[in-house]
Amino acid sequence: MKTVSLFIPCLVDLFLPRIGEATYRLLARLGVRCIYHSEQTCCGQPAVNAGFTKEARLAARHFIDVFGDDEAIVSPAGSCVCAVKTHYPELLENEPFWRERAEALAPRIYELSQYLVDVLGVSDCGAFYDGKVAYHESCHILRGLGVSAQPKELLSRVRGAKLVPLQGAETCCGFGGEFANRYPEISTAMVKEKCENYLASGADLLLLNEPGCLLNIGGYLSRHVPDRKVMHLAEFLAAAGREER
Amino acid sequence: MPDDVRRFILRKLKNAPAGTAPSRPPLPPLPVLSLNREELISLFTENLAEQTGMVYRAANAQDIKPHLAEIAAREQVKIMLAATDAVLAPLHLRAWGKTTGVEVLTAEDFPDRESYREAAFNRVQAGVTGADWGVAESGTICLLHDRDQPRLISIAPLLHIAVLPVERLVAVYEQVVQSVYADKNRLPAHFTFITGPSMTADIQGGPFKGMHGPRKLIVILVG
Amino acid sequence: MDVRTQEFAAAANRELKNERSRNFLGRLAPYFARSCAGAMKTFPDPAAAVACGRAIRADAVARLPDLLEQFAKNALACGAKIIWAKTAAQANEFILALAKEKGVRYVAKGKSMVTEEMGLNEYLKTNGIDAFETDLGEFIIQLLRRPPFHIVGPAINLPVEEIRDLFLAHGVIDEPTTDRIALGGAARRYLRDKFRRLDMAVTGVNMAAADTGAIFNVENEGNIRLCKSSPAIQVSVMSLEKVVPTMNDALHLLRLLCRHCTGQKLSSYVSIDCGPKKPGDADGPEELYILILDNGRSEIYRDVKAREALRCIRCGACLSVCPVYGKIGGYPYGWVYSGPMGQVLNPLLLGREQTRDLYFATTLCGACRDVCPAGVDHPRLFLHYREQQASSVRAQGLFFKAWGRLVKSGGRWHFAVRLLRPLINRFAANGVIRKMPGLMNGWFASRNLPALAHKTFHKQWKKQERQRDAGRR
Repeated sequence: MKTVSLFIPCLVDLFLPRIGEATYRLLARLGVRCIYHSEQTCCGQPAVNAGFTKEARLAARHFIDVFGDDEAIVSPAGSCVCAVKTHYPELLENEPFWRERAEALAPRIYELSQYLVDVLGVSDCGAFYDGKVAYHESCHILRGLGVSAQPKELLSRVRGAKLVPLQGAETCCGFGGEFANRYPEISTAMVKEKCENYLASGADLLLLNEPGCLLNIGGYLSRHVPDRKVMHLAEFLAAAGREER
Repeated sequence: MPDDVRRFILRKLKNAPAGTAPSRPPLPPLPVLSLNREELISLFTENLAEQTGMVYRAANAQDIKPHLAEIAAREQVKIMLAATDAVLAPLHLRAWGKTTGVEVLTAEDFPDRESYREAAFNRVQAGVTGADWGVAESGTICLLHDRDQPRLISIAPLLHIAVLPVERLVAVYEQVVQSVYADKNRLPAHFTFITGPSMTADIQGGPFKGMHGPRKLIVILVG
Repeated sequence: MDVRTQEFAAAANRELKNERSRNFLGRLAPYFARSCAGAMKTFPDPAAAVACGRAIRADAVARLPDLLEQFAKNALACGAKIIWAKTAAQANEFILALAKEKGVRYVAKGKSMVTEEMGLNEYLKTNGIDAFETDLGEFIIQLLRRPPFHIVGPAINLPVEEIRDLFLAHGVIDEPTTDRIALGGAARRYLRDKFRRLDMAVTGVNMAAADTGAIFNVENEGNIRLCKSSPAIQVSVMSLEKVVPTMNDALHLLRLLCRHCTGQKLSSYVSIDCGPKKPGDADGPEELYILILDNGRSEIYRDVKAREALRCIRCGACLSVCPVYGKIGGYPYGWVYSGPMGQVLNPLLLGREQTRDLYFATTLCGACRDVCPAGVDHPRLFLHYREQQASSVRAQGLFFKAWGRLVKSGGRWHFAVRLLRPLINRFAANGVIRKMPGLMNGWFASRNLPALAHKTFHKQWKKQERQRDAGRR
């Protein structure tokens, strides 16, 4: 039996714990044992993005301490995985002890869909959904991790679900953390376009696997088009499976 | 003191922390290198057409002049400025022009740079040149400029006709540059890659040909 | 050129309301994606072609001092006159003095970003020498007195009516017309006269090959070729990072540059100078000056991370794929370089202080980095600039200091998170937060936030763990 260590980032922990739950349920259903280190905190991405590298280093060292020996770490948030994979070795470049651990850790951390398809070799999660879905390619998952085929592979095996093309699927939704609050007009123009493309796609559900994008797109929909939903892939795959049974 | 500035800048650059020169992956060989003559010709023609340049085929040197006459008549060329490079010189275009009613001028006809410029910009309707190379990978011709290949002929008039012997067709730019620099004692001052007419899309993205230079580029491929 | 980088946010909001620009920008990204991707497909292995180009630029930057020295030596041997300038002012003074010495009344300009960076046109003008931009787009924005909207099409966003009025006002046309071809033709005639009588031209440089001392210019219009053919004096201004190791390197970069710039395999004209004209040549410059400009770059070079921005070859692809540029266009960036290119270059050339918005107005989406044929990692540079400026933001500094204390302990972190919930959920109604007075106004301008969950994942897990443990017992 495979064991993975769950890395549940702040946004999921605080705002969207159901995504964490779904991740756990999905993995459990696929026969994976999950462990969760309750010592885990934030990966440090907000500090890196704000330029506070000294503080980000504290987060990085803590993360490495907590997760350092795990065989596989899985997270439902691609940007945080990306931070660990790409930022840590650079953040800690002048601390050989930590840098080596960061470099050793990098290949063992996975975004959820990446883990399911590339490591577990699963593409059918036993899920069912009656309707059309579209998939938003989050920047850090698509360009940061190079993960795009995996989620689509998972979606293509959901019985009854039809994956429809989304115009501008690869274009940023305008979240960018602090960016969304600091440049609201630009950010709004971006998320508005994303939502318009979703509505025009004919899909009745928009799926993604990044909590930041989820809050942004979901927040815009909630305000302007409250009957249209956006959902995290983990929830979709976990919940839809339950319905069938 | 200019030399002080040079030393200052270079010293500052050299005193900066050294960079690590990364390893250089080689460029995978371009498949165009393995094309035969006919394939090179068709690729050259196809690529130039993409940029709206036209290619005419002439079977041999004798066949060039009828093409020129036809183009001159169609484009209403009364006066043309011709280069005197190794491709054009043997054609004796001036004499040919007299029989066809086209006045053929060369840079040597002008007493000074001023009158030559005036003619290149305002008097002639076409410039005709030889081409030193054709490059199939993009449908490009290359002109080596010297006293027999003045620069303005191929850029000032509204029509540029270039005569390219087919044996001068190569696959890639690197072959041209290698030839240009083969004789270290005869380096040119200037050479030009030409791939189509003068173009712009600066107003609303709409194409406009002949912005500053030729509106048309015609390559007569000989052989 | 005036620096308006500090007006970024206001200008962006203005441009967001400009329907015409929005319309144009909406078409730009898909058009560019098609044309660039189509052109890249003509490589047997596009990824290898890009990797090769990136390695060339990385190598060039790593060996910059040696390559520059080698280039200058070889160009000198070819008969070019090499002028070094530490600052834009020095470069401007040189060009003015040369123009005065030669008695020229005006100069023609080939499109060159670096001379815009220098503010050469304004400088010459105030000192009695007219400078005419001759690239159509540059010609238009010079009359308009605006920075380029896009590096490839500086005036491409302008409606024809605006160009008509501009041309009428400056005597380029006598009769009003909104016909694109007629407007282009009028500009041709107007500038042709300048070219014919031209004594001195100033151009930029796209690439300089160290192994031969040759300089390359890439264009579609032919104005640069006219600048290199008609006058007796040619000044080619190159910022010092333009140098590449070899001719073959320059040739391969040409392949990438043109494909990323306009989707062409090669632009209409690539002209290569290896010195002034030879005696007996009918045209071409009697004197070829290559002006190597530093303008802060040798200082940038001392910063090993920042220097990677010098890889940029100005193809403009990053603008066309940028989702932020795609909403606001080029003006808000407030200077010569716009889009991600401007966001990495302007802070280096103008200082981090007055360009703060440029490296914050990005979602770090990485589209620019992915498309860049020169291997510039824009997001990495933005983070680097932010790091260099972090100490100047006090409030944020205090926040992250506190954050730093929490983040290194799971106990403290989750305790703090527990305290946060009631504070935030005060603003929630029916599970949704629509605003939090004084907090995150930008976010709430157009978006809701879900109320914080009753239990964090952390807490749920602990509870279930206890239950599981109890079950086992």
